[in-house]
Amino acid sequence: MPETAAEANLRRQLEQTLAAEPSSPLHHYNLGVFLWDRAEAEQEGDGEEARKLRAEASEHFLAAAKLNPNDGVPFRFLGHHYARGGDNQRAVKCYHRAVTLNPDDSEAGDTLCGLLDVEGKESLELAVCKEAAGKSPRAFWAFRRLGYLQVHQRKWSEGIQSLQHGIRGYPTCADLWEALGLAYHRLGMFTAAVKSYGRAIELDSSRVFALIESGNIQLMLGYYRKGVEQFRSALEMAPCNHSAYFGLASALLAWARNCVTTGAFGWAASLLKEASEASRICTSLTGNLSCVWKLHGDVQLTLARCFPWVDGKIKRVMDAQMFKNSVQEWRNTCLLAANGAKLSYQRALHLTPWEANVHNDMAICLDLICSMDDKNRFNPNVWELPEKMSLGALMLEPVNKDFWVTLGSMSSYLALKQHSFIRALHLDMSFSEAWACLGKIYRQSGDKQLAKQAFDRARSIDPSLALPWAGMSAENYHQSGSSPVNESFESCLRAVQILPLPEFQIGLGTIAARSSNLLSPQVLMAVRQAVQRAPHYPESHNLNGLISEVRLDFRSAITFYLQARFALGMMYNSMSDNRQAFADVSVNLARALCKAGLASDAARECEELRCQGLLSVDGLQIYALALWKIGQSKEALSVSGSLAENLSGIKVESATAAWGFICTLTYGISGKDSAAAMIQKLPDQLNYNSQLKFIISALDALHPTKRLQLPQLNMPPKRTAYEVMSEVHSNIALGKAIGVGFDKPLRVDGSLSYLKKVLHMYPDCSLVRNQLGSLLLWSGDWMASHKAIRVTSLSHGHTSSMGLRSPHHIQACAMVSCYATCCTYTKFSFATCEHQYLSGPDAIHHLQRWVHCEPWNQDARYLLVLAIFQKAHEEKYPKHTCVILKKLIMQVLSNISNPHEKEAMQYQVFLLLLLSSEVCLQSLDYENCITEAKEALKLTPSSRVDTFFANLQLCRAYVVHGDLLNSRNEYMKCLRNHTNTEIGWVMLKQLESACSLEGFSDEIDIKLHECVKRNGSDSSKWTSLFNLACAQCFLWGGNFESAEKALAQACSQVDPDSCILFLNGATCMEIARRFVAPQFISRAASSLRKAQQKSHASLPLVSLLLAQAEGSLGSKTKWERNLRLEWFSWPPELRPAEVYFQMHLLSRQSSAAVSQQNQLVETIQSPELWLLRAIHLNPSCPRYWKALLQQIYV
Amino acid sequence: MKLAGLKSVDGAHEESIWAAAWAPAADHRPTAVLLTGALDETVRAWLPDDLAALGSPTRGHALGVVSLAAHPAGSLAAAVSLDSFIRVFDVDTGASVATLEAPPSEIWGVQFHPKGNALAAAGGGSGSVKLWDTEKWKAITSLAVPRPEGARPDKTGSGKFVLSVAWSPDGRLLACGSMDGTIAVYDAVRMKFLHHLEGHHMPVRSMVFSPVDPHVLFTACDDCHVHIYDAREKGLVGAMSGHASWVLSIDASPDGLAVATGSSDRTVRLWDLNMRTSVQTMSNHSDQVWAVAFRPPGGAGVRAGRLASASDDKSVSLYDYS
Repeated sequence: MPETAAEANLRRQLEQTLAAEPSSPLHHYNLGVFLWDRAEAEQEGDGEEARKLRAEASEHFLAAAKLNPNDGVPFRFLGHHYARGGDNQRAVKCYHRAVTLNPDDSEAGDTLCGLLDVEGKESLELAVCKEAAGKSPRAFWAFRRLGYLQVHQRKWSEGIQSLQHGIRGYPTCADLWEALGLAYHRLGMFTAAVKSYGRAIELDSSRVFALIESGNIQLMLGYYRKGVEQFRSALEMAPCNHSAYFGLASALLAWARNCVTTGAFGWAASLLKEASEASRICTSLTGNLSCVWKLHGDVQLTLARCFPWVDGKIKRVMDAQMFKNSVQEWRNTCLLAANGAKLSYQRALHLTPWEANVHNDMAICLDLICSMDDKNRFNPNVWELPEKMSLGALMLEPVNKDFWVTLGSMSSYLALKQHSFIRALHLDMSFSEAWACLGKIYRQSGDKQLAKQAFDRARSIDPSLALPWAGMSAENYHQSGSSPVNESFESCLRAVQILPLPEFQIGLGTIAARSSNLLSPQVLMAVRQAVQRAPHYPESHNLNGLISEVRLDFRSAITFYLQARFALGMMYNSMSDNRQAFADVSVNLARALCKAGLASDAARECEELRCQGLLSVDGLQIYALALWKIGQSKEALSVSGSLAENLSGIKVESATAAWGFICTLTYGISGKDSAAAMIQKLPDQLNYNSQLKFIISALDALHPTKRLQLPQLNMPPKRTAYEVMSEVHSNIALGKAIGVGFDKPLRVDGSLSYLKKVLHMYPDCSLVRNQLGSLLLWSGDWMASHKAIRVTSLSHGHTSSMGLRSPHHIQACAMVSCYATCCTYTKFSFATCEHQYLSGPDAIHHLQRWVHCEPWNQDARYLLVLAIFQKAHEEKYPKHTCVILKKLIMQVLSNISNPHEKEAMQYQVFLLLLLSSEVCLQSLDYENCITEAKEALKLTPSSRVDTFFANLQLCRAYVVHGDLLNSRNEYMKCLRNHTNTEIGWVMLKQLESACSLEGFSDEIDIKLHECVKRNGSDSSKWTSLFNLACAQCFLWGGNFESAEKALAQACSQVDPDSCILFLNGATCMEIARRFVAPQFISRAASSLRKAQQKSHASLPLVSLLLAQAEGSLGSKTKWERNLRLEWFSWPPELRPAEVYFQMHLLSRQSSAAVSQQNQLVETIQSPELWLLRAIHLNPSCPRYWKALLQQIYV
Repeated sequence: MKLAGLKSVDGAHEESIWAAAWAPAADHRPTAVLLTGALDETVRAWLPDDLAALGSPTRGHALGVVSLAAHPAGSLAAAVSLDSFIRVFDVDTGASVATLEAPPSEIWGVQFHPKGNALAAAGGGSGSVKLWDTEKWKAITSLAVPRPEGARPDKTGSGKFVLSVAWSPDGRLLACGSMDGTIAVYDAVRMKFLHHLEGHHMPVRSMVFSPVDPHVLFTACDDCHVHIYDAREKGLVGAMSGHASWVLSIDASPDGLAVATGSSDRTVRLWDLNMRTSVQTMSNHSDQVWAVAFRPPGGAGVRAGRLASASDDKSVSLYDYS
């Protein structure tokens, strides 16, 4: 670049200053720097012009250096000059001088070290760096260089210090971080190394070395997933890096092994396939490394050992050939992988024949291939190949204990086995695997004592070894009693959890079947995995079937049993060897078929077995059941007869079970009489177990004449099991309820009194309590709901659903059925129920809790809807509640998919539709109201549900709508369709006047009384309610006299309700007011007095009216007392203006009379204040204003 | 790996608490916030370190709140009550953003997609999972749970009753748990049913995928067991037992090394996934524990792990997880 004008100017200035003072080193230096920069700026860095400029500059630098030898910078430039000129010797000297003068000069230092490095003068370089670092802590370049050098020389700990110091100067230098990571890595500080490598990768994402090394560390620390990620990103950067491939393959292998120990075979297989691919690429990149081939072999071998058999491809319908093919395919895949491993190990061996390990691996691989290939026949005269290979390993390394154990495991000679294991133990007395293997061969040769000792020793040395646990489990399994079996189960479970081998898993399944642990998820997992790994073992399929059966999945169970049979068919033993196994599986299959509802198939299976003479006692039972189910009762009976004949020789427990079955079957086929006869013929010595007792008591309950006397019912209770007895008692109670015949209504009372006695005997039995509760609800007693709640015990959370209804259900029913449920909302009404065990919001919360616990329970939802409806009714149908109600009703209705299934369901739907109709009516949606009611009506004809209420609802809707004609129609329909519910008639009576249809009253009255008589309910209660309805009709018509008569009649019944008394009093007062008939006042007073005494919580307005009546009758003190009572009968926030006004009157009276008694209510404030508060509450009442005026004028 | 009780608030709600979820830290809010929903028809927010109540309880539900889920961005959350409305609300103000419903089906568990672009809800008796998009709050689709051929009938008699849903952390899998114990797994990208996971035989009320391993699904079931499934390869790979009653809720720790469960036996348990055993039992609640939730990572200077539990005894507890 040519010189610009400004530059020329600057040059001139610099030259002038230098000329003015030629001895100043600074001026020389400045000019030198200017010339040097000019040279650098030249287009051709090494052109003629540039060289000239540089030579000129160097002269100035030289001069500057001579003039001031303590300044390092000119020396640096001189160094640059010589270095550029190729005179490294002088350059080094100049640079060295610069660094010595200023150790912080990183440019000079770095260039110096670079020059020294090129010339290979490492020690000199080190010395320079150390010198600079020793002189100044800020010579970061020196620390950095030093760090690199120390790392290069493998002085890790010193290197770490230098590098850390260097990082302070160059915090974003990825190289430094990488070197630091390497140093940490080599010192074994893995977490620190991972962090350093991580920082390097963060700074520069293309650091392949850091990625691979940190991947290796992650692998070593067991974080396979992270390791795999790092190797993958390294491969993205460097797609041909063989160490990244090697790392990836080994990480995937380690991960897959980890998966195998948890039993995730499918996952492991997919990982291994990837690993195999990675290691294959690695072998293609570097084919002459033995370890790469070994890795490939390891991957293949692991794959051969964990590849799962998957039945997903197989359809439900499967034949033996398909099963065989599928298993064969699986076996071929495994074999292919094993052969691949064999080849790879051979290559490894070929490359490094001196590696004993590879010999050993080869032996293991060959052993696996031999065990998988059935065609290999054992030839005692020839050394087996695996044995030879492991001998090869031992020849190379005779002191390796592992190789001895391998030899022992490979060998087929007992003596050699024992010898090898003992040799291994010679090498290391606490070698647990050798002890375990020794135990195994002792067990196989029947030497139990020695086996137990060996296993014990192995287990105490290393409790994380699976084999001794399995061995101990097998030891315990063959002992009698339940605790060894449980111990055996636990040991086997431990073995399976440590090492998921199919042999262990099948063992676990077998033990679980015996110790009734089949529902355990660990067993399920083990057996499902056993099927994946050993599809050729019939036991695994059979156990799988048993587990599915226990879990009520019968279809799958059938498939599994079929597979078990196919597997049996595939075995090489002759057919006669596994005849018994075949029979067992077939019986299982028949049972599963029977349970799945395929009785005819089950019968066919049994028939086949019978032809072969393999039908056992169990099989006979299933045969009989299947025959009965397909309608061949006679054959079933004959089979059960032959079953009874066979029962003499077998174990007591199974005999009793079989007897129970025979009795039930006989009952099912030929009715209760022959069953009873059968029971009476039962052998005497029979040990009555729980099941049989239950069956007998159930039959007894159904039997009208009660001929069967349970022999052990009279025994003292302690001798028989607790639960059984409560069930038996519950059956007896049911029997009492059923009574003489099925066509009669249930006799709840008898059953109730029996249950009460039982409860006295078993006070904490939830079954009895639940049954008692549900029977109480059934009894229709007026107070039933309260009693039922107190009887049932409701523990929070998990409750058993034993008995006729769950305790939750009983509680909820009781809450919904209590007419006073919602009355505690003081905002809306006042409680009149004397027995408030429940409060409203609590009931709804309780129901919500139930719904939340059992979301699938439609009964709970249904009852919640009812409760919310009651609440809505109480609150006068607020809009948001109506929205929720409609939504909830819709949900419940949509969940009841088929209402015609059950009568109870139908009733629920009917009721819900009516509720929905009512909600519509209350939100003034007449059309929907009528449609819903009609919908409900449509639902009814097929069942016994009353249509009465649907008609009643329609009638109400028409009345409100003003459709007189239709409403009359519906009214007449109601009259025609009887109802058994008293309240229906009362409600119909209420509608009478609305339809302007007076005159039919007698008919309703008669029908109500018929109904009361039929139900046996409290006639006085219903009469009073009916009269109340009549009175309401009269009142609406303005006919006070008749209303009063009706109310008086209602009050004359036994124990009238306080509300009716109140209404009567109020009506009397009204009559007295309207018709100026003072004789009514005393009647009113007496009614109101009764109402006041009766009401549980003080009813508002009663006292006020009573005060008026008493006042009119002339008793001032009673007037005062009642007014005060009135004040307290209101909740504070709800007191109306009138109460304040009355208090005003009272206070005026009393303030005039007795002023000294200041504890009375009215005296807390002055009469004026009372009045003002009344006006404040209701400013629209002229009476209050008038009183105020009076007050002021007086 | 252990839990240490930090703070417990008795009477955090007026009634039983049924749901808890952490709304993660957002741009405008430096820390995560704990949300709880209860039978008293309210949702409350709590600060993470001292359980100080954040604002007043937000109303807007007509019946008890059964499920809560927070949007991964931290500003929105969804609450479901027994009346089956899903109310989507702003975590900070409590204001409703949207109200979702899928009549006539009821709604139980809800969960946001890990990227936050969809909301999945368990559709109860309708036997399906409902999905909404989170931009316009429009229903996307409804994934029906197919009945396995010849399976046993439910008690409801109307197909599967779906109780819980879970998304895998990479958003590729969607699982839903039913009352008969089967778990249906869907390909969430193509919206296709993949397979059923078997092993439970009672209602599965809560599920969560491992945050580090998108394969692995943890399930809590009424049969008292916790199962570990390989959801992609369809395999049961672990089962952990120890609770004495229903396991009602489950959550996985953010480091993927532990899970916590709450149960009807009134305890909270911490399980070590490597050992496959329960390592700690917290029995500070006096009634069944309906919800457990680990605080998601992120937020200003938040390193320490936190676990929250909510119970029928009206209390909320906070633990330090380390």
